[in-house]
Amino acid sequence: MRKRLAVIGALAMALSLCATGASAEEATEITLWHYFDASADSEAIVEWVDEYNSIQSDIHITATYVSREELMNQYTIGAISGELPDIGMVDSPDMASYISLGVFEDITDYLEAWGETDSFYSGPLSSCMDSDGNLYGLPQNSNCLCLAINMDLLEAAGYDHAPTSLDELSEMVAATTNADDSVYGFAMCCISTEEGTFQLLPWLCATNDGESANVDDLTAASAVKGLSTLGDFVANGYMSKECVNWTQADVWNQFAAGKAAFAEVGTWHLAQTDAIGDAFNYEIVLLPTGDEGTSTSTIGGENFGVCTGAADVEACVEFLEWLCSQEKEAEWAVTAGKIPTRSDSEPEYTYEVENFEVFVDEMNYALARGPHAEWPTISEAIYTAAQSVFVDGTDAADALATAMETITPIVEADPIPEM
Amino acid sequence: MNKVSLSMAGKRKREAYCFILPAFIYMILVLGYPLVYNVVLSFKNVNVKNLTKGGSVFVGFQNYIDLFQNPTFLLVLKNTFVFTIACLVFQFTIGFAFALFFSQKFKLSGPIRGMILVSYMMPMSVTGLLGKNIFANAGLINDLLSKIGIAGPEWLVNTSTSMIAVIIMNCWVGIPFNMLLLVSGLTNIPGDVYESASIDGATWMQRFRYITLPLMKGSILSVLMLGFIYTFRAFDLMYIMTAGGPLNSTDVLGTYSYTLSFTQFEFSKGSAVAMVLFACLFIVGLFYLRLLSKEDD
Repeated sequence: MRKRLAVIGALAMALSLCATGASAEEATEITLWHYFDASADSEAIVEWVDEYNSIQSDIHITATYVSREELMNQYTIGAISGELPDIGMVDSPDMASYISLGVFEDITDYLEAWGETDSFYSGPLSSCMDSDGNLYGLPQNSNCLCLAINMDLLEAAGYDHAPTSLDELSEMVAATTNADDSVYGFAMCCISTEEGTFQLLPWLCATNDGESANVDDLTAASAVKGLSTLGDFVANGYMSKECVNWTQADVWNQFAAGKAAFAEVGTWHLAQTDAIGDAFNYEIVLLPTGDEGTSTSTIGGENFGVCTGAADVEACVEFLEWLCSQEKEAEWAVTAGKIPTRSDSEPEYTYEVENFEVFVDEMNYALARGPHAEWPTISEAIYTAAQSVFVDGTDAADALATAMETITPIVEADPIPEM
Repeated sequence: MNKVSLSMAGKRKREAYCFILPAFIYMILVLGYPLVYNVVLSFKNVNVKNLTKGGSVFVGFQNYIDLFQNPTFLLVLKNTFVFTIACLVFQFTIGFAFALFFSQKFKLSGPIRGMILVSYMMPMSVTGLLGKNIFANAGLINDLLSKIGIAGPEWLVNTSTSMIAVIIMNCWVGIPFNMLLLVSGLTNIPGDVYESASIDGATWMQRFRYITLPLMKGSILSVLMLGFIYTFRAFDLMYIMTAGGPLNSTDVLGTYSYTLSFTQFEFSKGSAVAMVLFACLFIVGLFYLRLLSKEDD
């Protein structure tokens, strides 16, 4: 009896082994690496990947979180060793560098056959291209920067409306600063990473006295005015010098804690307004970076690409097409507090509806970074210039001239494409 | 007879080579290959544009010439030496004082010594995070200073104070390390030497100067050399605590090489910085080996 049971057991075990073997043959294992760390999008990516696994049987995707810094290192190391995930996420301004390093597959042909690339906004889509216009991925989400205002502090300072020019903002920032309560007029991030450059660019590329500059022309008077105004904020104690160590999350925490009357914030912060609750009234408006009625901002967002040597490139592209479809783009924007990368996606936001509209409007004035393979070096020159103004009190014109010593040879060799 | 012993010696020699062969292969693979690769890389112009597409060429010493003409690199080199020497001075003197203190026999000397070691056991990344919070504008240090009526500086924001903050955090870790090695040196000094010196009327200072220091020479040299090597190649503390900032004021060779290679994709320049770091440590290492062989003689 016992012998017979053992035989049956062994047979069952062998059968189950055969069964798992068969299903493994059906679906190719695909690895996806991402650095979504906010609760909304980190949970969403796992749910979405599960959903995709259940609606098709060609591939089985496993989504793995890798911290942003570590993921970028892995791409660089993988460029040499060939050890890469099948699908990878990347911050849009960095994609050009990784394309140049050979991290991503050219998927132009697949996407042309798909025929929906015309529906994407040109700024985000261009960040997935090399200088010949070949596509290496799809932009999955977009965001930009706006001005958040603590209306209680603004009203206490005697104003009843939001600023609409840089001069008006400067006046209000001075009036709302209250050193006794350690409340600063303005908060922004000027950390020595891409985040710092992201937040600085709107002020450098602003329209001042009818003129505006681009990244290849930062010694222009309009750019100098933008940076020197921010420098004055720090010098006069309207903005904390600690902004050189603050990430954008730190800036949002300062604002949410009522420690800053104005703050430069991103679209994704609208998914985090419960940190403010009923503590004070807040408003989101276009960034008043220059002349009356003008605004500038920076486009941010993440792209997904198929990595070189991926197990099944075609199937991976099909996943990207699903992830960035009209319907899914709209859904992601609502879930994660982002803006779709496609003009035909219409997200139905269920919270902060009016404030999302402001961000969508701001996208019209938002500039793309690059695309340029040497963007990281350009970016370093920009945040270093601002830090030397904030920390060492360097004259803004001198600091920007120093930055241009680095930037000019780079853009002369490979110009930044016109949008 | 002579012939036989020669061939025996030759055989023994061959056997000896066989024994060191595994270690030799290991050294070539694990140390030699990366080192040679790095040297070659530092003489080329590999960057983001030609890493995989090819087209990188040998540029001779150009990367090194560029570095020594680059004010940022010179600042980084200076920072590395300032950081290393300041840390060595403070952690050695304080560590030695602790070692002398704890080599006395008193109640609780063991447990307290163990507690001091906690900071050494902590991972450097944790120490970096602690430092970031302790030295923040409204952090622990400034809070304590304000209680005695002093307005603390913005430690990690000013270029003049950020290095001090990083040095203090590194000493916090280095002191127990120094203490540990020096205590073991002190316990090796026989007690009767001190006893006979006291009988001869030597003062505390004289005993320290003429007994402790000479007998501790080996330990002291080891501690200083190891300390130099550990401190000179610092990376994680700066990387977490200040990311080399503000304005490169806490950037050292380790962090600068990393930034060049992994953020700017200037692989050859990053390698050249790593080679400078290696050369400095190599010289110190040679010096240490010479001292050791002198000791043996």
